Amino acid sequence: MTTMKVEHRDRPPGAAEAQQIAIQLVGVNKWFDDYHVLKDIDLSVYQGERIVICGPSGSGKSTLIRCINRLEEHQRGSIFVEGTELTSGLDNIHKVRSEVGMCFQHFNLFPHLTILENCTLAPMSVRSLSKQDAEQMAMRYLEKVKIPDQANKYPAQLSGGQQQRVAIARSLCMEPRIMLFDEPTSALDPEMIKEVLDTMVELADEGMTMLCVTHEMGFARRVADRVIFMDEGQIIEENAPAEFFDNPQNSRTRLFLSQVLGH
Amino acid sequence: MKTSIFTTSFQRGKPRLKAALVFGAIAFVIAFAAAVNTGIVGELLRPAMSEAVLVGLWGRFAVALVVGILCFGGCYGLLGLPHRVQSWSVWAGLALSALLLFYSFDLSYEFIERKLPFLLTQGAFTTIYVSAISIVLAFTFAMLGATAKLSGIAILEGVGAFYTSYFRGVPLLVQLFLIYLGLPQIGLVIDPVPAAIAALSLVYGAYMTEIFRSGIQSIPRGQWEAADALGLQRMVTFKKVILPQAMRVIVPPTGNQFISMLKDSSLVSVVGVWDIMFIARTQGRADFKILEMLITASIIYWLLSVVLEMVQHRIEAHYSKSVAR
Amino acid sequence: MRSIIKKTLICAGLMAAAISTSSQAGKTLDAVLEDKMLVVGTNSDYRPNAFLGDRNELEGFDIDVSREVAKRLGVDVKFVTPGWEVMTAGRWQGRWHMVVGSMTPTTKRAEVLDFPATYYFIPAGVAVHKNSSAKSIADLNGKVFGVVSTSTYHRYLEHNLKIDAVGTPPFEYQIKPQEIRLYGDINEFDDLSLGEGVRLDAVIQSVSVINQAVSKGLPVKMLGDPVFYEPLAIAIDKGDAEFGEKVHAIIEDMKSDGTLVGLSRKWHGVDYVTVK
Repeated sequence: MTTMKVEHRDRPPGAAEAQQIAIQLVGVNKWFDDYHVLKDIDLSVYQGERIVICGPSGSGKSTLIRCINRLEEHQRGSIFVEGTELTSGLDNIHKVRSEVGMCFQHFNLFPHLTILENCTLAPMSVRSLSKQDAEQMAMRYLEKVKIPDQANKYPAQLSGGQQQRVAIARSLCMEPRIMLFDEPTSALDPEMIKEVLDTMVELADEGMTMLCVTHEMGFARRVADRVIFMDEGQIIEENAPAEFFDNPQNSRTRLFLSQVLGH
Repeated sequence: MKTSIFTTSFQRGKPRLKAALVFGAIAFVIAFAAAVNTGIVGELLRPAMSEAVLVGLWGRFAVALVVGILCFGGCYGLLGLPHRVQSWSVWAGLALSALLLFYSFDLSYEFIERKLPFLLTQGAFTTIYVSAISIVLAFTFAMLGATAKLSGIAILEGVGAFYTSYFRGVPLLVQLFLIYLGLPQIGLVIDPVPAAIAALSLVYGAYMTEIFRSGIQSIPRGQWEAADALGLQRMVTFKKVILPQAMRVIVPPTGNQFISMLKDSSLVSVVGVWDIMFIARTQGRADFKILEMLITASIIYWLLSVVLEMVQHRIEAHYSKSVAR
Repeated sequence: MRSIIKKTLICAGLMAAAISTSSQAGKTLDAVLEDKMLVVGTNSDYRPNAFLGDRNELEGFDIDVSREVAKRLGVDVKFVTPGWEVMTAGRWQGRWHMVVGSMTPTTKRAEVLDFPATYYFIPAGVAVHKNSSAKSIADLNGKVFGVVSTSTYHRYLEHNLKIDAVGTPPFEYQIKPQEIRLYGDINEFDDLSLGEGVRLDAVIQSVSVINQAVSKGLPVKMLGDPVFYEPLAIAIDKGDAEFGEKVHAIIEDMKSDGTLVGLSRKWHGVDYVTVK
């Protein structure tokens, strides 16, 4: 496991609970053909809350967050995002997607477009921004992720860590209220993980609602308000990070933590 | 750095000698098998040996050996040259030999010279404009076909599947006759040129539909997902994200299709379109000089396809600029 | 055929339906007179009847005959070269009005086409390589023959030639070939020129084509007398008797006033019009 140093942040206890619900999942079920990948998931995420989801591979954690912006379709139950229910209606899907940004394990930058064009495509096409405005905003977010000088290069010319930071900037250009991270550091070389996590911490500090699927337990311990452990399509355990890591209740959680932290 | 099968370029030392020996040996075997002692090469050795010896097995061996040694020497010399010079001089050498071979046919150049202007102004002109219109239409059909096949709408998928299945499955010549002779039976009388263009573009559109489809499908799902997550409309994603990347995969085989179509356009002469092939056949047959016309036609087709090849390289370069480091 | 711009325009309206002119009584004739244009289907590689001359325009006996027919109809003439199989298949749908292509009115062809007027007779001869060992046509029994596919020469070698025209001189089958090689795009004379028995021993063609080949310097010669005389007729699509009668009358006029004989002498060197 990579070790990292993130400054401990103070936050008022219970601040998240006092706010409104950003995402709500009620009895969500999903099957891939015969394979029951999500089983009766109930989850509420409050505005400004930072949640880390962990669990063994195949536990359904990626599928869970992919359901939230409808990259996967759930078959039973309801999902509400900022008050909008996700149904098959295209209007609803577009509304939800405009509120939710996402970063992928393999970045999924558009390789034929420059960094700047990657960041301006959606704002210009979806939000009808002028090229000038879009570029201005893109530069602002590229500065935020500390790579404004790469704006005119193509993705293949950047390191993995830089690409992932571009992907974060690209999502931020749509000014989402919620960010989903699907194993954002799993495909990175160890020395690049920190720069991406630092960027994520910065986002968290600004109060962005975040759902993050990751195995970076150091990040979870320092940043998360809540850690969720999933196995076999179910939420097995959820708790504040201190409790979760120091005093896991479920035997499966204990086993998982011993495997992840054990070496 | 280009990848190649062999790790050495055989430019110096022992590998160079070995490679030249292999080429020389191959030339020896071919020359022996083809019994070149009775041909032009044999004539060159006439001063060294008598007619009787030359024709016998010994003569055959000797002539083949001379050919082998010449080839060895030539290859050894060539291998020492820089890579580009080597491949270009071999290319030029082979082209020259091909032309020399044609030259040895004892053709009537006066006849070719007399017929060439018409072969170009009428024949090549017709071939080019028929091919050009067909290429544009085929591209459109392929685009529509691939879009239909990937639309996820069952009705369109069915249309696309039938289109590619039928037009790829039936020979171009048969299509051409069906369109030219069949359509009039339902009251749609079309002229030879439109019939030819329709047949060429429908058949090649069907082939290219599959190229487009596989090109589009070769783009990782993550690209669609990233665009979805950003809230892009699917048609925008297709146009701005998927297609430009797919073009890189699509262009090389599409270029091949176009070159192939240019040549297949010679089939349209059967319904009386005055293209290169029609003029060549007509002029050649009427004057009992078919070989002259066929060789001239082959060189015109070849030059045209070289031009297309160059266009293809330019387009390829355009679409691969973003992956160049 | 020559107007490229027009062709391009037609391409633009590729799928636009053209008006079907299925032939009813008088309809072809009406179309010809209305448009003041007679569209004639013919060959492009058949010396000396229809071929591309040095001016890269169609010329020859068939071409001159067509021009004369058009002139006597009082209309212009335009030539198309749709290909032999397409012309002999019938059902022209008004694409062209008649074929003046040295076509023999066989019984089979008469099933899909009308032959209103026979305009000349042409002798079919046997050609061999100039060094051939054959002394007479009888020496060629059991040899390899080359002929144009589905031509009357092909039928003759198959002993299956049925000509359906008035005044055709009788003939007998003199040859039993060992093998018949069929030719389309390739010229059978090219193969004959390679030498006796290399690919072919003999070719059957019209005497005028054989003479052309000889005069063009090919190493071939004609052997013996013509094996049969075939009548050659103008073909029109089925069903317009009125048009047929008109064409018939014009050809008869051209025969009686000597025009046709003059054209035959001009292109064939001899009179192939008058029955011997």
